[in-house]
Amino acid sequence: MTASTLKPSTLPSATTSPLAWVRSRLFPNVRSGILTIVLAPLLVYAAYRAALFLFVNGRWEAVTRNLTLFMQGTYPRDQQWRIVAQIVVLALAFGIGAGTASAVRADVAKEAGLALPRQSPLSVIRRFWSLIAFVLLLLYFASTATPWLVVAGAVAAFLVGTLARFIPTSLRNLGWTLAALALVAGFQVVSGTVGYSWIVTAIVLAAGAWSTFKFENVEGRRALLYRALVAVAAWVVTYLAYTQLVYPGVGWDYWSGLHLTLWVSSLAIVLSFPLGLLLALARRSTLPVLRWLSTGFIELIRGVPLITLLFMGQYILGFMLPQGTNLSSISRAITAMTLFTAAYVAEIVRGGLQSIPYGQTEAALALGLPTGKMMRLIIVPQALRAVIPALVGQFISIFKDSSLLYILAINEFLGVRSLVHAQADFRAVAHAETLVFVAIGYWAFAYAMSKESQRLEVRLRAGRR
Amino acid sequence: MQRRLLALLAVLALVAAACTTGDTADTVPVTDGGADDTSADTTPPDTGDTDETTDTTPAVLPQDEGGILAAVRDRGAVRCGVNDVLPGFGIVDENGEYSGFDIDFCRVVAAGVLGDPDAVEFVPLTAEARFTALQGGEIDVLIRNTTWTATRDGQEGATFLHTTFYDGQGMMVPASTGFTTLEDLADATICVLQGTTTELNLTAVFNARGIPFNPMTHADNETLQPAYESGQCEGWTSDVSQLTAFKASIEEAGGEEQYIMAEVFSKEPLGPAVPDGDSAWAQAVDWSILATIQAWEFGLTSENIGSYDGDDPNILNFLGTDGFDPGLGLAPDFAVTIVESVGNYQEIFERHLAPIGLELEGSPNDLWTNGGLMYAPPYR
Amino acid sequence: MLRVVGQLAALVVVFVVFRWLIGNLVTNYSRLNIGFDFGFLNVPTQFQIAYHPEFNPRLPVWRMVLVGVKNTGLAAMFGIAVAGVLGLVIGIGRLSQNWLAAKLSAAYVEFFRNIPPLVAIVFFSFAVFLYGPLPHLRDAIEVGLPGTASTLLVLSNGEWGVPGLRNTGNAPLFGVLALVAVAASAAVWVWRTRVNERSGEPHHRVLWSLGVLAVVLVGAYVILDGPVVIDWPQLSENRRRLASGFSVNSGFMSVAGALGLYTASHVAEIIRGSILAVPWGQTEAANALALTNFQRYRFVVLPQAMRIAIPPLINQALNLTKNTSLAVAVGYAEITTLTQTSIGNGRPAVQSIVILMLVYLGFSLLISLILNIVNRRLQLVTR
Repeated sequence: MTASTLKPSTLPSATTSPLAWVRSRLFPNVRSGILTIVLAPLLVYAAYRAALFLFVNGRWEAVTRNLTLFMQGTYPRDQQWRIVAQIVVLALAFGIGAGTASAVRADVAKEAGLALPRQSPLSVIRRFWSLIAFVLLLLYFASTATPWLVVAGAVAAFLVGTLARFIPTSLRNLGWTLAALALVAGFQVVSGTVGYSWIVTAIVLAAGAWSTFKFENVEGRRALLYRALVAVAAWVVTYLAYTQLVYPGVGWDYWSGLHLTLWVSSLAIVLSFPLGLLLALARRSTLPVLRWLSTGFIELIRGVPLITLLFMGQYILGFMLPQGTNLSSISRAITAMTLFTAAYVAEIVRGGLQSIPYGQTEAALALGLPTGKMMRLIIVPQALRAVIPALVGQFISIFKDSSLLYILAINEFLGVRSLVHAQADFRAVAHAETLVFVAIGYWAFAYAMSKESQRLEVRLRAGRR
Repeated sequence: MQRRLLALLAVLALVAAACTTGDTADTVPVTDGGADDTSADTTPPDTGDTDETTDTTPAVLPQDEGGILAAVRDRGAVRCGVNDVLPGFGIVDENGEYSGFDIDFCRVVAAGVLGDPDAVEFVPLTAEARFTALQGGEIDVLIRNTTWTATRDGQEGATFLHTTFYDGQGMMVPASTGFTTLEDLADATICVLQGTTTELNLTAVFNARGIPFNPMTHADNETLQPAYESGQCEGWTSDVSQLTAFKASIEEAGGEEQYIMAEVFSKEPLGPAVPDGDSAWAQAVDWSILATIQAWEFGLTSENIGSYDGDDPNILNFLGTDGFDPGLGLAPDFAVTIVESVGNYQEIFERHLAPIGLELEGSPNDLWTNGGLMYAPPYR
Repeated sequence: MLRVVGQLAALVVVFVVFRWLIGNLVTNYSRLNIGFDFGFLNVPTQFQIAYHPEFNPRLPVWRMVLVGVKNTGLAAMFGIAVAGVLGLVIGIGRLSQNWLAAKLSAAYVEFFRNIPPLVAIVFFSFAVFLYGPLPHLRDAIEVGLPGTASTLLVLSNGEWGVPGLRNTGNAPLFGVLALVAVAASAAVWVWRTRVNERSGEPHHRVLWSLGVLAVVLVGAYVILDGPVVIDWPQLSENRRRLASGFSVNSGFMSVAGALGLYTASHVAEIIRGSILAVPWGQTEAANALALTNFQRYRFVVLPQAMRIAIPPLINQALNLTKNTSLAVAVGYAEITTLTQTSIGNGRPAVQSIVILMLVYLGFSLLISLILNIVNRRLQLVTR
């Protein structure tokens, strides 16, 4: 190949004239020039064919007429307001999160006496251009005004949420709490109190309670006990609330389409996290039995493809529970995905734990901290911070892998294709078009997330210096 | 060293404990499950009564507590295992609504048992997982273009009920190939869906006749169809009803002209299946379905069944006007509900299968009085 | 003491949960009269396997399992080869000074890394075979071998014919001798390397080992009187199947090709990262020695980059192998597809899935073993 210089500083700067740019970037030497001459026509031809397909030959009716089906599948249409409400509430949650995050950055900058780099709306568009393009594509395909209203509502809710930046510094945690609560509310507004959705809320609320009530004025171990009690109380209250309150909704057993795809991957990450954390700690433990059990589980799961676990869920899991339990096929798939993800999360967290220099442990011990406190205060927080990008990577991975549910006749985003092509009008047409549409959808989300994870990585690395 | 020894001892003790509990542990799990599983308490599994004839089975059959019929009534909905990607029989339209021939029979069961044709939860299933779902109690009834075979009756824990559609396996080829018999397809690649009786039939028939062939299996019609149209396979074998539907679609979309061979090389009686061992539920489902055939024979349709004013005692019994109740556990007027809300067999057929190009008249699915096979036992 | 009790408690909890699950399974299965034995492995498979005309449906299920394992292995090997070569090219391409090459490589990585492999497989099958330019088998493109009457390649949208080898009687023995030849040439390679290290004389190890390989192979071929002949691909008279040659079917190519393309995007990132991780001073030193671009890459940068790259690369190989299970979508007859079909035809699910998992665990173990060996060697090299 023709890479002769690797160091960015030796590359010509972007301010030179276009001709000079072409010379230096496309025809710097004979071999590179040949490469350009070979690649450029290929590229032009490919672009021409793609454009022809997208704008001229493509029969997109299969997508436009089934747009709602792709988004929410067989979700009952008379309950559609729940999904709309959910989108708005989630946008609010992300708005609050973004607002709080930017306020935190401002605080840090002020403390360090630095000017905060201005964030223009343009940079948001640049960061999320793939998602924005996908939404625009959806709007372009939409035949009614409803999607426009939904998008407008979501944008408005997001903007309202960003007002969280004006929450005073002393109440900073309030912003995060509000964002988490809005996230849970967004989930609940659709699922109601149906099925097993309480587990999700219980995890979020228990984790929230744990990190909110720190009992800083209580001594040593007792604070830990109190915090654990509060977390358990949050868990129990959630569970009781679910059994007592009857708020009808549409549980995840009845979800499908892109809605299911997005939630099922989120659920796999959220539900697997506590388990993965425990597994990681167990694998690093000095107690041999815990280590063996955890290592065995992790290596077993990582040695087989997800599809075999999904088959386990499909064909066997139902019989491993007492008769009459009747987990739905989506619940079983979520269970399989959770176990699968937990093994990978455990390895990621373990990597984080290992990346913490031993000096940290020594310092903590020198301060006379007991092991538990050292783990909790020194090691785990640093480790988790270090593994956030990898966790996002795992999230992308499980997001992509959720397409396997299609093999189990669960109609997530990819599976909707088969519904569309069973319809009378599209039985023998537009198979390629629907596939391209679905691929664009997956790509837009995964691309945006991977870019965000790269940003995070850079920021966190900078923070560690 | 000492610590290791202790651990080893502990493990040994545990193993010993495991071995001893091994014999009696069957009771432990059940109580365990009852104790912490408060969320799914609709049918408490641990009841001791042994009213049924089964003496070898543990006492956790679903029908102990009144069976599936009672469970369905408690739930207020029938869980119906369906195919959601089968033209004519089960599809999902652009509004997310299920429709089709099999779907309508799910509604028939719901109307018969619960009096409400919309009280159905549709559970889409793959061909491979359908009997697992039935055995595991995930669904109450399987109406998913499922062929009634001895193995399935015997090994898969399913009980098949009255056939709703008599189908047969056929072979479709592009008309341009000029193939008219299976022998013409020697050495050809043939597309087929995997995990179905169709796949086994194909192998059996071609091997019996000594025709070499290459099967190309697909999990879904939506990958099979493009493969067939691109010519990756020269023949497409499936139930004739499906081939008819796809022939029409391909030709309508401007594709090549298709030819379905006259030879039908298997019997495919498609009908509903319920779990083994619950005859009350089986009868309720069976008679709900038979009611659509009986109504057709009586000439009762969704239009006129409500306004019947004749005095044929058989029909009056059927309508339950005089409170006739054969004791099936169904409402006396269940037939009226079914036919009014869903229709009789002919109406269901015309609604879903006529559009995909199937004819009722003169087919095996015609009424026995017209020379077909649809025959309902007398309702009296 | 507390530690022992805690561990014991953990063990007991795990055991009770496990016991509970298995207990339920046994109860439910005995209620349904389903057994846990592996006797089904000896029952006839009953269905024909795509593109395996030699497979008789009356062969027992364990033979089907072997076919599945073989096909999984083949797809994985081919996919790994594609991913490796393509990933290397694209990874280096991303660092190219040529703007177009760099951007195209980046676009490739960003596209393939962010679509699900399942979508990639169906996509590949659509783009190359179903809606691609290739004709139907009866109109297949036959590429002749210049100067002879034989065909070199048969290309169609269903299967491709490539030259294969046909046994004329002594092929197994020849195979053994070929293995010996490979071992001998490897030994010569090591020997020449040692000689070079000891005395500094040029090793010429490529020449040496190729020479040994050729001598042994040719010798064996002559002595065994032509144990194998090249089997040129040829369509049958009715042009519906390949009468001879090695058949490569579209399902295989979709799985191996698509996973190769998909994994190449990950490989490219690993290669790029590893090359960037090689200290800049090394490049400067190479330039100071007036090495050419190729020499700098071949002798200075890549050897060091590879040391960083190989563990994650092997991990990618493992991922690719596991991803071949997605062949279900295009019906390629690897182990998962066959297992699913066989479950659908009434074979017991638990046992079938246990076998399926064992097969994948076997593959994973094999690849981990390679990883460990390589890691150990790399560590030795670094000293």
